[in-house]
Amino acid sequence: MSENAAVDAPVVLEMRGVTKRFGSVTANDDISLILHRGEILGLLGENGAGKSTLMKILYGLYKPDEGEIFVDGERVEIHDPKDAVTRGIGMVHQHFTVIPPLTVAENIVLGAEPRGGTLGVSLNMEEAIRATEELSERYGLKVDPRARVADLSVGVRQRVEILKALYRDVRILILDEPTAVLTPQETEDLFAVLEELVADGLSIIFITHKLGELIGVGDEITIIRDGKVIGTVNAARTNERELARMMVGRDVLLRVEKVSHSYGDVRLFAENLTVHSGTDEVAVDGVSLEVRGGEILGIAGVDGNGQTELAEALAGTRPVEGGRVYLDGEDVTRLGADALQERGLAYVPEDRATKGLVQDFALYENNALKTYGERPFSRLGVIFPGIMRRRAAESLRAYDVRPPDPDAKAASLSGGNQQKAVLARELSGDPGVLIASQPTRGVDVGAIEFIHSQILEQRSEGKAILLISLELEEVRSLSDRIIVLYAGEIVGEVGPDATDEDLGLLMAGHTTGEKSA
Amino acid sequence: MSQNGGGGSAFGRIVTGVLGPLVFPVIAIVLSFIIGAVIILATGNNPIAAYASLVEGAVGDPLALGRTLLYTTPLIFTGLAVAVAFRAGLFNIGGEGQIFMGAIAAAWLGVSLGSLGPIAIPLVLAGSLVAGFLWGAIPGVLKAYFGAHEVITTIMLNYVGIYFAYYLANNPLRQKGPIPGTETIDFATRIPTIGAALGRANYGFFLAILAAVVVYLLLWRTRRGFELRAVGLSPGAANYAGMRLGLNTVLALAIGGSLAGLGGGVEILGVYGNMDVPWVSNLGFNGIGVALLGRNHPVGVVLGALLFGALTSGAQEMQFATEVPLELTEVLLAVILLLVTATKLVELIVGKRARALAGARLEEGLGS
Amino acid sequence: MEELLGTTGSILQSTIRNATPLIFAALGGLFSEKSGVVNIGLEGLMLIAAFAGVVGSFFTGSALVGLLTALGAGLLFALIHALMCITFEADQIISGTAINLLAIGGTGFLMVTIFGAGGTSPRVTGFGSVAIPLLSDIPVIGAALFDQSLIVYLMYIMVPVVYFTVFRTTFGLRLRATGEAPEAVDTAGVNVQRMRYYGVALSGLLAACGGVYLSMGLLTAFTENMTGGRGFIALAALIFGRWNPIGAAGAALLFGFALAITYRVSGQTIPIEFVQMFPYVLTIIALAFFGGRAIAPAAIGKPYRKE
Repeated sequence: MSENAAVDAPVVLEMRGVTKRFGSVTANDDISLILHRGEILGLLGENGAGKSTLMKILYGLYKPDEGEIFVDGERVEIHDPKDAVTRGIGMVHQHFTVIPPLTVAENIVLGAEPRGGTLGVSLNMEEAIRATEELSERYGLKVDPRARVADLSVGVRQRVEILKALYRDVRILILDEPTAVLTPQETEDLFAVLEELVADGLSIIFITHKLGELIGVGDEITIIRDGKVIGTVNAARTNERELARMMVGRDVLLRVEKVSHSYGDVRLFAENLTVHSGTDEVAVDGVSLEVRGGEILGIAGVDGNGQTELAEALAGTRPVEGGRVYLDGEDVTRLGADALQERGLAYVPEDRATKGLVQDFALYENNALKTYGERPFSRLGVIFPGIMRRRAAESLRAYDVRPPDPDAKAASLSGGNQQKAVLARELSGDPGVLIASQPTRGVDVGAIEFIHSQILEQRSEGKAILLISLELEEVRSLSDRIIVLYAGEIVGEVGPDATDEDLGLLMAGHTTGEKSA
Repeated sequence: MSQNGGGGSAFGRIVTGVLGPLVFPVIAIVLSFIIGAVIILATGNNPIAAYASLVEGAVGDPLALGRTLLYTTPLIFTGLAVAVAFRAGLFNIGGEGQIFMGAIAAAWLGVSLGSLGPIAIPLVLAGSLVAGFLWGAIPGVLKAYFGAHEVITTIMLNYVGIYFAYYLANNPLRQKGPIPGTETIDFATRIPTIGAALGRANYGFFLAILAAVVVYLLLWRTRRGFELRAVGLSPGAANYAGMRLGLNTVLALAIGGSLAGLGGGVEILGVYGNMDVPWVSNLGFNGIGVALLGRNHPVGVVLGALLFGALTSGAQEMQFATEVPLELTEVLLAVILLLVTATKLVELIVGKRARALAGARLEEGLGS
Repeated sequence: MEELLGTTGSILQSTIRNATPLIFAALGGLFSEKSGVVNIGLEGLMLIAAFAGVVGSFFTGSALVGLLTALGAGLLFALIHALMCITFEADQIISGTAINLLAIGGTGFLMVTIFGAGGTSPRVTGFGSVAIPLLSDIPVIGAALFDQSLIVYLMYIMVPVVYFTVFRTTFGLRLRATGEAPEAVDTAGVNVQRMRYYGVALSGLLAACGGVYLSMGLLTAFTENMTGGRGFIALAALIFGRWNPIGAAGAALLFGFALAITYRVSGQTIPIEFVQMFPYVLTIIALAFFGGRAIAPAAIGKPYRKE
């Protein structure tokens, strides 16, 4: 692609020996990297490897404990984002920092507004709109400056985010996991924009945890693991296997071994299901699905296409607006989460921090979060914490939760251990049906393997499992069948051997019929 | 910016070890007394003399002690009313109205059931409890089913409740004669005093302690309490676990209301014997300070109420002895409330780690 | 007919008078809440300013000095709220409640210290009615709108000024952004804490104007607890008006109108207590029907802590 021409270009940024500690944890350990003019540098690493910390240091959000930063050969101290922007460094955050109620133009000029009026305090809106339009045209980032950001899609919001940086004349742009929220097609559009930007002389640091993403796109890829730089490879000459080994530190099994067996009866069945979102818009629109015993049905799709609402409606924590849900043949459409759980439905919610666990409850209380009102935990409205503690101690050990201390607050556990604690609670009741929503999000590799093996064990025990995940690889490796949700509707069903392209087109809303057209 | 949070200091470690939960309250109390001392100096008085007379007036002799218990009793009730709602993630700023509703119910029932003698006492108090429960349920319903924020509605209902109670006291329940207020309840239907040595202190104080015990058991030993606490700490997780958010919201505020209402009944039967117009004020608001000082725990609420009660009790002696206006106490209580949630201020004084050990921030215990 | 017009005029006049303190406090609340800080201490800020105004006027005989004293006191106590909520990260609701109690206790304390007794202060020079030539001669509405205290005229000016400031200036854009997404404002290089201090400080100044109108416009003396919940009604007007200056002023006028009507019917037909509780009941009903759907600034109530 860019044939490494950039590597001969002048160095615009150098980080030398950067170290950052949080308490006893070293998030960045003696990290050095070099960025040339017109280069796309990939920064690859697992969740928690220290990529974001490093970039927050560069952007002035964290102060490094050791190390130096050079911009255009000059040693600089970056105290805050304002400093960073003055030095020409801009950042597109993983969680966008655009403000929904404001317009696109207002978002873009915020903090560096064109002024007007006799007193010079007025906001010169015409100038803001003109500047937005000019930038948008120059780099092919189509936006309507007058639109309210709240009304825009995720992909367009990201464009606003990029424009915000460009408006401030940055020459170094940091993109933090920019494709996490995009469809494959939107991702391609983004890459095209990045090409435009580097052709115009900008330099880009592209943070990702997706192995193959930068192959053929970036110039160089620097791999970070446990806060250290493992190496830098040429993006054109590497492959996924090499990157995976560097990122994880060993050869990872990209495929999970899964024995085939015959399926049982239909245990979970939804018919023509309609569900509304929190803002009362239709989020799930006429979805029908069935899951048999011993089967894993995967649901793929870009975030925000109705997965959350579907899972919550099936689990009884969100009202069903239309259609029916059956559990083992019984109509459970109007039953609440409580009744469903008594009938053997387990649900691992996507958001363990705010839904799966009460963070300030002890683990024994969390372990009884659904069964606190049943024997032996309760009788005649009185609860027995002692019994809760003993039961919790057993299941925490069985599911390898560390520490297995029933009195520890949930908040004191790592993400992986929190998720194991949720699994311990959900699976210990020997459920018939399991709904697992993004069970491995933000979880370390060891815990991912444990969680996958637990899910497969449930499958072999004849449980019906609905798996919702944004990670295509996870859905493909675990599922027996995959359905794709787009805008709240099922746009297609494929087998686990479907290609990236097939799934990508479906996730972008092209039905199987359109694809051949 | 944050070298080591300052928490490594020996002082910080000692503070958190045994006295963790007391860090916020103690700092708030000490600072408010320092600010109070400056105010006393500004009025040309001697703060040491003023505070000495304050203490003297609060616990100096059995009569003073009795007066302290007398002022403490309603504050335990209103403090519990705030604490129960807090545990469920709700602000109950409606203690004023709730205590008035309980009081007017007692003023009415106390007279109309007066012929029953002492047997009427539990019935009258039950009436106060029910009145407070229903009054507290209103903001609960408005929050759960209409989305109206309980902070505003409970404040508004204070005014509505007070005016409604005054309407009843001025019209259907009005006593004969020129003084506005309800008829006086017969002594046989009053809560008896503990003993002549303690002055007017009455067994209502022990009822308040009993209420604190009941609240403790409710919150930590019952299914309902488990749900209330789960809803308070994480509405998302509670909903996920199948708990009914609306019902728990209504119950939390209604139970809070019933405690304040009971407090109003105890005041009427134990202290006043009727409701005058105007009647007492700020007991509900000061319950907020009591609850926060007590970290929303029943034991803490009792201790917080004792402190507030003692300050109120000692204020008269202070005014008498040093000419510092007794309103200084109100200022001190307000300053305590102002400081008792000041997270960063506490970090500044004892260090970050000590603050972390001292307990979660208030916001973390409050769902939206 | 003549009588009807006369009644209309006097109801309108009364509406304006009742609404003025509410509008000032609501505009003040708007600045604070737009910046992300809940201010239920408006009630207390008004009360303190009402008292300070009387004190200033009492010692100098100048209403203007009274106003300046009130503005200073309102600003000072607003800054206490700001210090607690923004710098010390105290709970905003609790801090606001404490400001209210501090105002009641503090004014009670100072009444005794300065005037020797609680209750009502001596009379002072206030801002009496000033009829605007020509405009005040317009039939029906003239006297109602243009024969009022100077502070009422200040209110007429403040509503559009606040609107312009919030929606048409860079300061307003930054303020609104701060209440919605402080982290975004921070990364854009704007100081979040400073914006919030500005917001709360402005709320103190505006609430002070409302307080001064009570003690030096409507009356010419301070009475203990004379705000009587107006700060809370103003807060409701702000919510009811969807955090828009025009909307909040409209809602405040509605509440003012309700008060004007009820004062008229008071006495014989309806017991006085029901008249007195009417604005609060109206507020509750309004909140129940519209409050749930109103969209507050997203980051309101949460302290912002830089990483």
